Amino acid sequence: MYRYIYIIPEAIGRSVLRMCASIGSIAIFFYDFVACLITPPIYIKSLLSQLVRIGYNSLPVIGLTAFFTGGVLALQIYVGGSRFNAENIVASIVALGITRELGPVIAGLMLAGRVSASISAEIATMRVTEQIDALITLSTNPMKYLVVPRVLAAIISLPILVIIADIIGIMGGFVVGTKSLGFIEQSYIKNTLDIIELRDVISGLIKAAVFGFIVAFMGCYHGYNSTGGAQGVGRSTTLAVVSASILILASNYILTSLVFTN
Amino acid sequence: MDHVLKINELSKSFGDKSVLNDLSINIERNKSQVIIGGSGTGKSVLLKCILGLIEPDSGEIYFNQQIMDKKNRADIDFHSKIGMLFQGAALFDSLNVQENITFGIKKFETNTGNLSEIAVDKLRKVGLDSSVLYLYPSELSGGMQKRVALARAIARNPELLFFDEPTTGLDPIMADVINNLINEVIEEVGATAITITHDMESAKKIADKISMLYKGAVIWTGDAKDINNSNNPFVDQFINGDSDGPIKINLND
Repeated sequence: MYRYIYIIPEAIGRSVLRMCASIGSIAIFFYDFVACLITPPIYIKSLLSQLVRIGYNSLPVIGLTAFFTGGVLALQIYVGGSRFNAENIVASIVALGITRELGPVIAGLMLAGRVSASISAEIATMRVTEQIDALITLSTNPMKYLVVPRVLAAIISLPILVIIADIIGIMGGFVVGTKSLGFIEQSYIKNTLDIIELRDVISGLIKAAVFGFIVAFMGCYHGYNSTGGAQGVGRSTTLAVVSASILILASNYILTSLVFTN
Repeated sequence: MDHVLKINELSKSFGDKSVLNDLSINIERNKSQVIIGGSGTGKSVLLKCILGLIEPDSGEIYFNQQIMDKKNRADIDFHSKIGMLFQGAALFDSLNVQENITFGIKKFETNTGNLSEIAVDKLRKVGLDSSVLYLYPSELSGGMQKRVALARAIARNPELLFFDEPTTGLDPIMADVINNLINEVIEEVGATAITITHDMESAKKIADKISMLYKGAVIWTGDAKDINNSNNPFVDQFINGDSDGPIKINLND
């Protein structure tokens, strides 16, 4: 009977210990990553191919998502604003919403689904098929060869993708605003340009760089530490996407507080 | 006697499970040493400890009379002096055959023409020609993948060659082809070879010396020609494949 009293505290204790072990493991992985980042060699060819894979190949999905997000935002603000006779704030709110929040967050989340999953699956497969061991026996540091180029490519790519997402997202709002909601084109553009400050764009780009790091780092971490064959590959892919998405949303709150609270 | 590798009292446990128990073994230079043993006897863990993929709990590994551990493995430049043929070939999926073979020498040789020549030369040594140079691993059969992996292993003219279950997953004819290739490349490269396997046909064909592992320790070492007259009941049971004998199979392992 007394045995059952301990079941819940034991389960909580196990979870806490597992969480502490994970944090420790991520910290060690981060330390190794930084050590490899600041010491040569940097695999330029691998970095360039990752820039194409992570950045260029993500353009269609980021562009489409941003366009529809901008359009929906314009519609919602119009409907909500009309309750207070404030329909003409649509252009301003779309511009601010996209550049400050939705551009980086949507791009980050889309990249978490597309890139984090693919990085994790690729590295996990390399782990279970002994390709990572093969790298070591060929005098190549897997952290330098696999992790550093991917994380650097994501940090560089995501801000560029976010600039494009900002432009396409605002365009989405513009198309819906002018073609469906009856705004005059010149005044919509003027309202957009009047409201946007450099700080809005820069804050979005800083967020994008942080999100890029999170997306690639979590993909690499979970893939690199994958165990248990095909099932392990699937598990690491799921963990990479889930952890990257949660960390993006949590860090978005922290970064917004830091940049816009004062 | 000249030993290229000396292993003293190596131990390794995973949780409560002890895999290597004070294992000691010496590898003679320019000989082909095969390590046999059933599943779970510690063959792969021993190989991974030597390669630095796993850190042992205790014991020492000497390479050319120099102690080798996590700290000084890079100073000794151990990995540039070895070649390794993995059980599943472990070719890099994203690279073609030429890039796979020359992966370990690219940093020393940047001339693409020379890299191509080296790759063709190594392919010839494993019985393949230049027609596979630009194919990807997924486009090769299992036997061809093993050959390309063998070509990669010998690309740097290593001092030490490791083979992990080289014939596993191959049909008997292809297994014999790989065994012959191993003998040829060992002779041609002039390397010391360490092979782990439980394929006795393969062991007899490629070994100068054979050691048998049981419960994480070496229980017999001798010349390959003496394996049938070892007078060791464990070895006799293993090479004859008897279920009755001193080796008890735990079906839960």
